[in-house]
Amino acid sequence: MGSFRFLEILAGFRAIISFLIIVVIWQSVASLGLVPEKYFPSILAIAAGFRDMMMSGELVSAELRTISRALVGVAAASLLGIGLAVLGDLFPSFRRGFAPIAALVQPIPPAALVPMAVFMLGLGPKLYAFIVILVTVWPPYFNGAAALASVSDVQIRTGQMLGLSRWQILRQIKLPAAMPEIFAGIRYASSISLIAVVVAEMLAGHDGLGFLLIRKAFAIRIPEVYALMFVCAANGLIMNAVVNGLRWKFAGWQLRMTGQTA
Amino acid sequence: MDVVLEARQLAKAYGVGRDALQVLGGISFSVARGEFVSIVGPSGCGKTTLLFALAGLQKASTGTVTFNGRPVTAPPRGVAVVFQDYSRSLFPWKSNRDNVAFGMVRVEDLSSSQKRDKAQEMLEAVGLQGFEDKYPWQLSGGMQQRVAIARGLASQSELLLLDEPLAAVDAQTRADMQDLLLDLAMRFQQTCILVTHDVEEAVYMADRVVVLTRRPTVVDHEITIDLGKRRDQITTREDRRFLAARHDVMMSIRSSRTAAPVTAA
Amino acid sequence: MSTLRSRQNYSALVLPIVLLLAWQVLAWRASTPLFPGPWQVAVSIWRLYPQIVGQIGYTLMRAAAGFVVAAMVMIPLGILLGRLKSIGSVLEPILDMLATLPPPAVVPIVMLFAGTGDAAKIAVIAYAAGIPLIMNTYEASKTLHPMTTLVARSLRLGRLETMVFIDLPASLPMIATGVRLAVASALLVSVTAEMLLATNGIGVFLQRQQENFQIANGLAAIAFISIVGLIVNDLVQRLERRLLFWHYRLDLHNER
Repeated sequence: MGSFRFLEILAGFRAIISFLIIVVIWQSVASLGLVPEKYFPSILAIAAGFRDMMMSGELVSAELRTISRALVGVAAASLLGIGLAVLGDLFPSFRRGFAPIAALVQPIPPAALVPMAVFMLGLGPKLYAFIVILVTVWPPYFNGAAALASVSDVQIRTGQMLGLSRWQILRQIKLPAAMPEIFAGIRYASSISLIAVVVAEMLAGHDGLGFLLIRKAFAIRIPEVYALMFVCAANGLIMNAVVNGLRWKFAGWQLRMTGQTA
Repeated sequence: MDVVLEARQLAKAYGVGRDALQVLGGISFSVARGEFVSIVGPSGCGKTTLLFALAGLQKASTGTVTFNGRPVTAPPRGVAVVFQDYSRSLFPWKSNRDNVAFGMVRVEDLSSSQKRDKAQEMLEAVGLQGFEDKYPWQLSGGMQQRVAIARGLASQSELLLLDEPLAAVDAQTRADMQDLLLDLAMRFQQTCILVTHDVEEAVYMADRVVVLTRRPTVVDHEITIDLGKRRDQITTREDRRFLAARHDVMMSIRSSRTAAPVTAA
Repeated sequence: MSTLRSRQNYSALVLPIVLLLAWQVLAWRASTPLFPGPWQVAVSIWRLYPQIVGQIGYTLMRAAAGFVVAAMVMIPLGILLGRLKSIGSVLEPILDMLATLPPPAVVPIVMLFAGTGDAAKIAVIAYAAGIPLIMNTYEASKTLHPMTTLVARSLRLGRLETMVFIDLPASLPMIATGVRLAVASALLVSVTAEMLLATNGIGVFLQRQQENFQIANGLAAIAFISIVGLIVNDLVQRLERRLLFWHYRLDLHNER
């Protein structure tokens, strides 16, 4: 019984332990010189690089740009996606007409659009908004359309019985019911948005984490490159946390229903 | 008496120390070759745990199981298990014939075409000729369970352990399957241990019924059924001796349910 | 009934056609080669067809290579980790962290290690495709029904045999979802890697076109990428339906 509690507590710290294991393995590989120091800097060197970038302010400004672009992009894309899904639910002919467009635009790699978009929209926020939205509107749209279409008949008929108009049924029954699945799409979209922003920054070559990555790489400042990769991964976690928080707010009922935690 | 399987003071507990749950208290009994033994008990008395321990699928906390004189630590050769959940026990990506043939995966001395033929034979024995190339999910529940039984027989088993095989099958099919099982046991000279919650089924099928108590489970008593090997769904179930045995078992289970907990025998 | 169907199919074309016309009108109004209309893009496709197909061949080859490498490593690894629960649960947070690292962010470091050749690109593609593969395979292996183990043991299968002959097929449905994501990812990252690590391929092609203000040609290349993506996706889905017939039919059976 005593060992049971200990194991439980241990499991809670699993993430930290795994992290520490990585750090230990990394450090040993670096110290043992198994891989040339050049390619595999020690943890200290990476931390030093991180600190340098923080002190010079370039990391903070790049990070702010990148994360703001990603967040704004996802927010706009989600709203747009939901709106299009609602439109498709209200007007089946729209949904059928939109489907081929969606099918053709969705596979386009964001990178492919960047040179053209830079040319047409300049290097400002419009560029990133365009790229991110074009890439991340699909998961919320597809999920939203599918979820709206599969709201249980029983729930819809309840609404009809209560005298709700078609619009009211959509707003008060269908949309809330579709929220969990829409949020699954938004979560996927948030991971894609980060990729899109970073790629756009790498290709547009102006500012942001992507640009910083390229610059440090060309300057062969390897510890900084690793530190930046780490920051990118951390950003992914931040985006996840934000989306999860919103999900708890808008679709928490489903989590509580299925006994999950945020 | 040629003892095929023997359990001695089989006990199983989950957890450690004060929070431990003693499921099996100390079960002892033996099964002779060619016997058909039913095991019944009140709900939750760990019948399935007992069967898995007998099969070598779970380790007992204390006590021993021997199969043909040798201790059981892992599923031994010659023992086949038919599980209650047939939909999960058969593999949906294999045809019925391949599923049955897969029962022989550990059999070395047959070529794969010989195994195919044997699988065919077994499927015919359980009445599924014509369904060899179909898939389990294309069959009804009772038919799927027949495939599972065919697989057990194909694996050159001497001892068939059946974990409530007919619990998830509809009543009419159940009667047919009971007779089929008895017929197959005789035809293929199988020793059978059937775990069931259905008292009538336990008495109908068995030469001997082992009645369990509730947790911590021990053997309450055993009843020999002297109704002969040939059973009939209608006449046997009306027989005076059947009804007496049934009465005996049901009274045991009822008193077990209401009695104070029994300590290890 | 069939007239309704064909009417529906025709009405689906309305929106795309309207948009295409609107685009063409805007292009006429702009009247500059820097804003081409659909007609010009079509002409570009016609003219550059052989070149585009050749270049996209490189892209596809690298995408395929990266995917195969990822599959051969990540699928067995995922099954193994799902079985060895202790090791799996320790590595899980690491996997989650890698999942949040965008593949493009890996390109600079790969470039420093491996240059800009095929190996570098394939490495990045393998990484991008590997993540959904291992996540899905691991999840599938982890959530295998406990009965699977019991049945395997009752048939006296060894651990390795169980993983290969039972865990793998049983996990295939979930792995298939991972494969779909991985294939799309491989294609996408292949193009992206080309744009960042130029040598050849459709990514380089369209980058050069756009840098030379040949917008119509660039759009032509993009259209091609899109169509190829669609075709590949469709092929993957068809393959999945054939291999996993037993899984899909399973659902139909229960509905009966």
